[in-house]
Amino acid sequence: MEEAAAREEESRTRAERKLKKAAQLLLFRQHRVPGVKGWELKRALGEDYLAVLELLNAALDNLGMEVKRISEEGSEGAEQEEKAERDRFVVVLKSPAVEKASGERIDTIAMLSATLAYIISKQGKASRKAVEEFLSAKFPKQRIFFALDRFIKQGYLGEDNNVLYIGWRTRAEVDRKTLLDLILAT
Amino acid sequence: MRQQGQSKQLKFDEIFRLLHFCRTVETEGTDPFDVDVKRFLQTLKQYQKKWRSLDELLLDADAIAELAKIIELQEHWIKDRSSSFYVDPALLELKLRLLEPQQLATAFLAAWRPIIAQDRLTPQRLQEGLDYWHALLPFDERAEDFPFPSVSEAPIELEDLIESHLFSKHEFDEVLRELSTELEARGRIDYRDFIYNDSFETSVRKAYLTSYLVSEGRANLEINPLEEEVFISPRTVDEWIEGDSGRTRSIPVSVSYEAWRAWKKQQHEKRNLGHEQSGS
Repeated sequence: MEEAAAREEESRTRAERKLKKAAQLLLFRQHRVPGVKGWELKRALGEDYLAVLELLNAALDNLGMEVKRISEEGSEGAEQEEKAERDRFVVVLKSPAVEKASGERIDTIAMLSATLAYIISKQGKASRKAVEEFLSAKFPKQRIFFALDRFIKQGYLGEDNNVLYIGWRTRAEVDRKTLLDLILAT
Repeated sequence: MRQQGQSKQLKFDEIFRLLHFCRTVETEGTDPFDVDVKRFLQTLKQYQKKWRSLDELLLDADAIAELAKIIELQEHWIKDRSSSFYVDPALLELKLRLLEPQQLATAFLAAWRPIIAQDRLTPQRLQEGLDYWHALLPFDERAEDFPFPSVSEAPIELEDLIESHLFSKHEFDEVLRELSTELEARGRIDYRDFIYNDSFETSVRKAYLTSYLVSEGRANLEINPLEEEVFISPRTVDEWIEGDSGRTRSIPVSVSYEAWRAWKKQQHEKRNLGHEQSGS
């Protein structure tokens, strides 16, 4: 009986240790790009890393945060396990609770907002030239070039052959449906 | 005869025109249903039996491939229109033009769930920084190795070194031959074990030279990204000739100061373990 209790205690301690490690890995930056790849989590937490992440998700829920899984190809959410190793995991806010969570200038955010809405309305991709022309109605060209390059570097946009598309970071951070609804309702 | 040539030219013109239209739809992102797939297929069918030369058959295959892409785009188009994300692009564009930057920013912030990622400086990272500082040569000494006037942003190629008389082709080939012999003697080996040694500088030099062995197909790299393992093995002359000799390959493998330090630490631990075992 005592032995069973000790085993249970040991397994609980191990689970808590893994939970703490998962939180540290996800909340503190390891690389230039935020987030941790599935295979890194598997190596650090063991085969049951997805179960550990579920536990972490439940714990973060009380703080208004959640673990989000982002695939490089564009899809979101739970899919087959082997694919999870290639996916990126990040912790995001569940709702926009904070009023100001960025030091960006308002016109930079306006440019990002307009660019994303424009690209989403064009089925997720648009030529860079078209985006630049569209933004140039309100912003000087030089600032547009600089901002677009920065959005690409930050992962909000992707670029392939002068075609801009929605980047992994937008998929992780932006509720695209809400953005479009808000723009149309304003 | 002339009539036959003219009709052939007409066939080609018609197919080229359709191909061009398909490509425009793909690149411009216009409505893929503007392409009448059924009619295009009928046109191809009509000419199919008359195709004789390789060029004609290739054109036919090209047209079928383009049509397949258009059908795929049509599928995406339908999915997109039926998804909750669909809004009329013209309406949204008009709305975006009318909104003030503040309004756009407010909408974005309301839809934004930022990633929570904190930078931290740990005592271990500080220690690594300090070690790096100690290992770094004074700036004036390093300046001798890397002279100042090199303003060029392009990477320095072997040809540049030869042209500048810093290195001779013969010297370079000799070093590569030595490296190749060493690899043959050591056989299949962990890449890090092969390039790293006690000095970081010589390790980087060896990694640079090894890249030539791999690019030229004289050595094989096996990469296992999940396990983070990279193995290097020699290729025999026969393998090299039968394989892809003459074709250069590019495989990025990172060589960093941190990785070299970790390797050194690992080697040190291994040696200690060996001493302890032989002692007991």
